[in-house]
Amino acid sequence: MSKRRYLVLFRNRPTGGQPGASPEQMQQMFAAYNVWKEQFKDAILDMGDKLRSEGRVVTASGVADGPFVEAKEVVGGYMIVSAENYDGAVEVVRACPAVHAPGVSLEIREMTGAKM
Amino acid sequence: MEHYFRHEYGRLVAVLVRRVGLRHLEAVEDAVQGALTTALTAWVASGIPDNSGAWLYRVAHNSLLGVLRKDEGRQQILDSAAGPLLDDGEEPVSPVFAGEVRDELLRMLFVCCNETIPQESRLVLALKTLCGFSIGEIAFRLFTTEANVYKRLARARNRLRLGEVDLETPPVELFCSRLPSVHAVIYLLFNEGYLSTHTAHAIRAELCEEAIRLGTLLATHPASAAPTTFALLALMHLHAARLASRRDATGGLLLLEEQDRTLWDGEHLHQGAAWLARSAHGDTFTRFHAEAGIAAEHCFAPSFADTRWNAIAELYAMLERIDPSPLHTLNRAVALAEGQGPEVGLASLDGVVPPAWLDGHYLWDAVLADLHRRVGNAAAAERHREHALAAAPSTAVRQLLERRLTKTAP
Repeated sequence: MSKRRYLVLFRNRPTGGQPGASPEQMQQMFAAYNVWKEQFKDAILDMGDKLRSEGRVVTASGVADGPFVEAKEVVGGYMIVSAENYDGAVEVVRACPAVHAPGVSLEIREMTGAKM
Repeated sequence: MEHYFRHEYGRLVAVLVRRVGLRHLEAVEDAVQGALTTALTAWVASGIPDNSGAWLYRVAHNSLLGVLRKDEGRQQILDSAAGPLLDDGEEPVSPVFAGEVRDELLRMLFVCCNETIPQESRLVLALKTLCGFSIGEIAFRLFTTEANVYKRLARARNRLRLGEVDLETPPVELFCSRLPSVHAVIYLLFNEGYLSTHTAHAIRAELCEEAIRLGTLLATHPASAAPTTFALLALMHLHAARLASRRDATGGLLLLEEQDRTLWDGEHLHQGAAWLARSAHGDTFTRFHAEAGIAAEHCFAPSFADTRWNAIAELYAMLERIDPSPLHTLNRAVALAEGQGPEVGLASLDGVVPPAWLDGHYLWDAVLADLHRRVGNAAAAERHREHALAAAPSTAVRQLLERRLTKTAP
């Protein structure tokens, strides 16, 4: 059965000055990510990247600068996974340690291009 | 890899503060925090780089440089004081010169122990900058609120910002007059772990291990390698050896005579003995020497019964002379009671009037209850027992007292 590709968008709600993870927590997350990555190594096509908060928005009327501080959520990163269907993609993403980070939601969207 | 992120935090803060100056401490901490966050993502994606320390340094350095450059108000300071920042971001300290990193960590430790900073703030500053704990983690470990930790930290940072001292970070050797303050902060840190009522062994052990790590740093650096430092390090190792055996499986406290001596940590015992031997040079005999000596007597006694109680009583007498405290008097009475009989122990407390803070403290009444019971003064024993139980600060202590003080006379 052919697999579909899914783009996973990491959305962050601004945490309003709340401190980020401590070094010790980061170490635990690092360990958890490595376990997850190994567990789903066949499904994770591209670990993607984090995105910086500043950016540009281009429209016909011009170019606007970020950061988009007024936005309730910003896209903070992405990755690409493969699965047979949404259930399969959800299984991979739900196990991702980022799910537990405060203010983070992960959006899964099937890519319409060529199936694998 | 254990505590790698936390310890790298301390190392990078110390090295970067040295390069840009203490006034930029907060910017340095932010940059280091950011570098670790970046590492988390990048290393998950493509693995840990070969020289992860240099990688982290480069990322933190570049982001710090960006922030300081943006801050126009500080431009002049930057130009005059931070020339080295304008390099290519390669870490100037290669692993070959690990001694220099040790210098920076030690310098940071002395900065944290600046006498113009209140002592409780010194402890928090060291935990934050050198040990890499977050404010929340410090609050959890010190049984206080995050707001309180934040306040203490702010007080320390204000002192550092205002202070004329330390901004030019003189050579480590010039800090030696501050050594007693450094010893006090390290021992405070150790006791926060050792005496903690956290039931999780790991939480208590962690603070003890941090204190031993800093003590080892101190003991292995020529500027601070002194007999007093060795005695402190010996004392911490000898206490740490017994940490795991002080509680039963449910977190209840165990008496020394109830502890399983086979659980004592051989490596800590070995280190403790070695540092104690090194501490015996020179002509100084400090409270750390006396306390390490007492700990060693307990650690190397074959059993509770075969402990050299008279040697311990003598060490407590020396401790009383160096650092007068009725607690030492009380401990001496306990040792005398074991070594020469409860009558001798009780007699040594004749005429001792406890100060207000000890009168009504459970330890005072507990010792008197025990000694009176053993010499057969049932009424006095019962009176002190009731006082001790009423004053017990925690359930674990009350349970221990009940067990210890209701035993029938032998």
